[in-house]
Amino acid sequence: MQKSKALLIGFCLLPVLLLHAQDCHLALRGHIFESETGEPLAFASVSIPEAEKGAVADENGYFFIAGLCDNRKYTVEISHVECDHFSQALQIRENTEMDFRLTHNTVLKEVVVREKALAPQTAQAESTVGREEMEATRGINLGETLKRLPGVTTLNTGATIAKPVIQGLHSNRIAIVSNGVALEGQQWGSEHAPEIDPFTADKIVVVKGAAGVRYGAGAMAGAVVLSPAPLRKEEGWGGWLALGGFTNGLGGVFSGSTDWHLPGKSLTIRLQGTAKRSGNLRAPDYYLGNTAASELNFSAMAGWKSSRWTHEVGASTFNQRLGILRASHVGNLTDLQLAIESPTPLNNTDAFDYGIERPYQHILHHTFKYKTEFQLTEKWKLTGQYAFQFNNRKEYDIVRFTGTASDKPQLSFRLWTNTLDVAVEHRPWAHWQGGLGVQGVQQTNFVGTGGLIPDYHTKGLSIWAMERWRRFPNPWEFEFGARYDYRRTAATTDGSLQNIDTLVHFGNISATAGAIYHFSKNLSVTLNTGLAWRPPHVNELFARGVHHGAGTYEQGRADLIPEKAWNSNLTFLWQKDRTEVMLTVYRNQVRDFIYLDPQRTFVLTVRGAFPAYYYKQADAVLGGFDASVSLPLSGGLYLESRVSLLRGYRLAADTVTEGETRHDWLPLMPADRFQYGLKWAKGSGSKSAGDTYLRLMAMTAMRQSRIPGEGLLKEAPSAFTTLSLDAGYSLYLNKMPLELGLSIQNLANIRYREYLNFFRYFADEPGINIGLRAKLSFGG
Amino acid sequence: MTYTTSSIRTLLSIAVFALFLFAGCKDNNTDTEQENITSIEIDLAGFNINQKFYWKDLDGPGGNPPVIDTIVLPASTLNITGRLKVYDESKNPVDDITEEIEAENTAHLFVYSVANADLIIEPNDTDDNGDPFSLVTVWKAGQPSTGTLNIRLYHEPTDKMNTANPGGEADFDVTFPVRIE
Repeated sequence: MQKSKALLIGFCLLPVLLLHAQDCHLALRGHIFESETGEPLAFASVSIPEAEKGAVADENGYFFIAGLCDNRKYTVEISHVECDHFSQALQIRENTEMDFRLTHNTVLKEVVVREKALAPQTAQAESTVGREEMEATRGINLGETLKRLPGVTTLNTGATIAKPVIQGLHSNRIAIVSNGVALEGQQWGSEHAPEIDPFTADKIVVVKGAAGVRYGAGAMAGAVVLSPAPLRKEEGWGGWLALGGFTNGLGGVFSGSTDWHLPGKSLTIRLQGTAKRSGNLRAPDYYLGNTAASELNFSAMAGWKSSRWTHEVGASTFNQRLGILRASHVGNLTDLQLAIESPTPLNNTDAFDYGIERPYQHILHHTFKYKTEFQLTEKWKLTGQYAFQFNNRKEYDIVRFTGTASDKPQLSFRLWTNTLDVAVEHRPWAHWQGGLGVQGVQQTNFVGTGGLIPDYHTKGLSIWAMERWRRFPNPWEFEFGARYDYRRTAATTDGSLQNIDTLVHFGNISATAGAIYHFSKNLSVTLNTGLAWRPPHVNELFARGVHHGAGTYEQGRADLIPEKAWNSNLTFLWQKDRTEVMLTVYRNQVRDFIYLDPQRTFVLTVRGAFPAYYYKQADAVLGGFDASVSLPLSGGLYLESRVSLLRGYRLAADTVTEGETRHDWLPLMPADRFQYGLKWAKGSGSKSAGDTYLRLMAMTAMRQSRIPGEGLLKEAPSAFTTLSLDAGYSLYLNKMPLELGLSIQNLANIRYREYLNFFRYFADEPGINIGLRAKLSFGG
Repeated sequence: MTYTTSSIRTLLSIAVFALFLFAGCKDNNTDTEQENITSIEIDLAGFNINQKFYWKDLDGPGGNPPVIDTIVLPASTLNITGRLKVYDESKNPVDDITEEIEAENTAHLFVYSVANADLIIEPNDTDDNGDPFSLVTVWKAGQPSTGTLNIRLYHEPTDKMNTANPGGEADFDVTFPVRIE
């Protein structure tokens, strides 16, 4: 029956295809429910008069209509003996899944509550950055946007360099994916922030737990996934302009994006750009000398369709200069100890300035990608993507002789990455939906002499498959995936890629299995368990040098083996009306976790003696609890709270009893933190005039008392509470929506230091920062 | 079909745009500039002494440990002139950094601290502002004894009079064994 229906649809489709160059390949899949009970309505008849198409829902309220045209106005009419006639105007732009809620013989009709593309949903723990929070923090940096999510914190080197930390892990252990391309920079460095312009993203999702199957070896602890807004489907122009200003650092940001859909064609072109400038930030008591920053980013995208093909081209360039706090620059251990003991930063220029002096970083990142999709059959789709990335990171240190010094950097990393992805994906087929694919990666890193890491070539090949099962109204959903990655790295430590002296290769399996059980339409439980791994990075294999910021001498180890993680997440989700409660417990067991082990010896250098740390491996366990709660009170008030708790330890050789092991806390684990506050909102929340919201949040970070046995260079900072305020108001200006916003960080202007900020040795965190923003959307 | 031609045209213009982007990144800064102090030389002259002592770590931090001479002086010797030289021997030809330090003498300060040995080292020069610099010093050895001599070079010191803590940052911080016999 199913087959003959498909055939019939196929026949209907054929003439449409021949007659119109327009894309009429879209499908609508619907679930019909009774609105009060939430029970599916069986055997309702569905028709779309404009398309001369119809269907009858099955016993589970499911129906499927294919051969709909892109961007055309349709009316969906549903009739059922027990219900009022239902009709709704609809315009679809991609394969769409929708819920329709019918009422029992009354005049009321309910509108769509859920609309989403047919892309495979994940059975993994995820957090999505709220729209309001994204708008409020986007002008600052990506880290600031992400750290409001439960289970996500940042690893900072001052206020301007922030790296996301997911459930305690960061850098090479997570992936950052922007517009479908996994970012390839010098992620290994703790002071290397992601090269991302948050204004290119319309949606940011943090995937928690082993995400290696979907995002490759390395996404061991999760992934940050940024997606741009879909390209404009209507003819003509559209876009937005955003302007923001901040009092701390007297910073300004300007960003704009415009889409042009060519008349009579399927082609849309987007141009986007962001310019940003800020001066020295100020802690409550002093300016933070040399913390100015500037950024200039551009991106372009184009997408078009032709019968069964979909194409997308994208290019972006990221150009950033970041001043590094002058007071953080120390010559040797004595200097570092003096700096740590001093309550105020030493060698600090306590004045406002936009200038960026040495030490500073200058980072360029260019990306080009081409993606194509070919609709093989009604159900099967072939996708291909090629991406090229070039990353150039230049680090300018303080030089001894200003008179003779050139403008050359002291370190320059250049990294070229090519990736090619080919995949086949299918729509639900016997209730299974998923795909399989291959990926090839090629990478060349050039540091030149004197670098911290060697030059290398890497080649990699991966193969993956992922499937998901759902059969409504069965309360179970399942997801399975597996992947094999192979990486081969040829490195040289003598500065010339002609003389390869080390060859390492690693291969391993990643796997994921997830299940969702829907207790009711409001409550679901998700269990995900996965295996992930990552090969040791070149810095862990070959590092040899003094890490001045940390005051340590670090030495790599060429015989390190890959880290293997077994990660499990259990999530409870309760959603009813406007109440949402999400609780996640997780455990991540990492075999051969790579860490820096203190040697209790000193390495003598011309700048004095530095404590030696060697890279070592031991088993580690990270476990924790993330929660987010949003409860409506009365009068548009909501209570919001987020909690992130984490414990991480490794098994260390016991120094007392030979051959015994003991638990030792892992260094740099985020302290427990709690966010709580009130939000007041008025209006529909969907960008209509008069929408207003105000949110006052407090964030309490506890003192990290679980520190490694060897102690810390400087004791962990005390607990603190910061206050923040966000507000937004929407109105119309010449029929164009204008959103105005106010955000205040560190409202009480308190002095505090963060455990996960390397500059806690030298200076306080920035004080109060008032931001004002405006965003004007045009072109409807 | 005009459709195809125009989409090819668009693709081309995008390619040109991309080329422009990537052409922009071809900077000429192919090499970097590293400053490495590998060697410190102490030249001692006067009072029948004409000797050089070295502290050398040619392969930089880690790897082979530094090679350090023991400063041996006869007891009861006065008015020895000490002069420091600083080299980067990782470069070819060897880079004599001393000249650059002298050229920027107001931004540099050498500090000497002796432990246990009966040795007194006093400045014998000043910088262009008349403040301490101490590249050239006068040494006085007393009774037979052993100990250490620590020499530091400070860059951009904030208080040149306070030799215990002049501020700025240490460019080098080396320690020699000392024997007076």
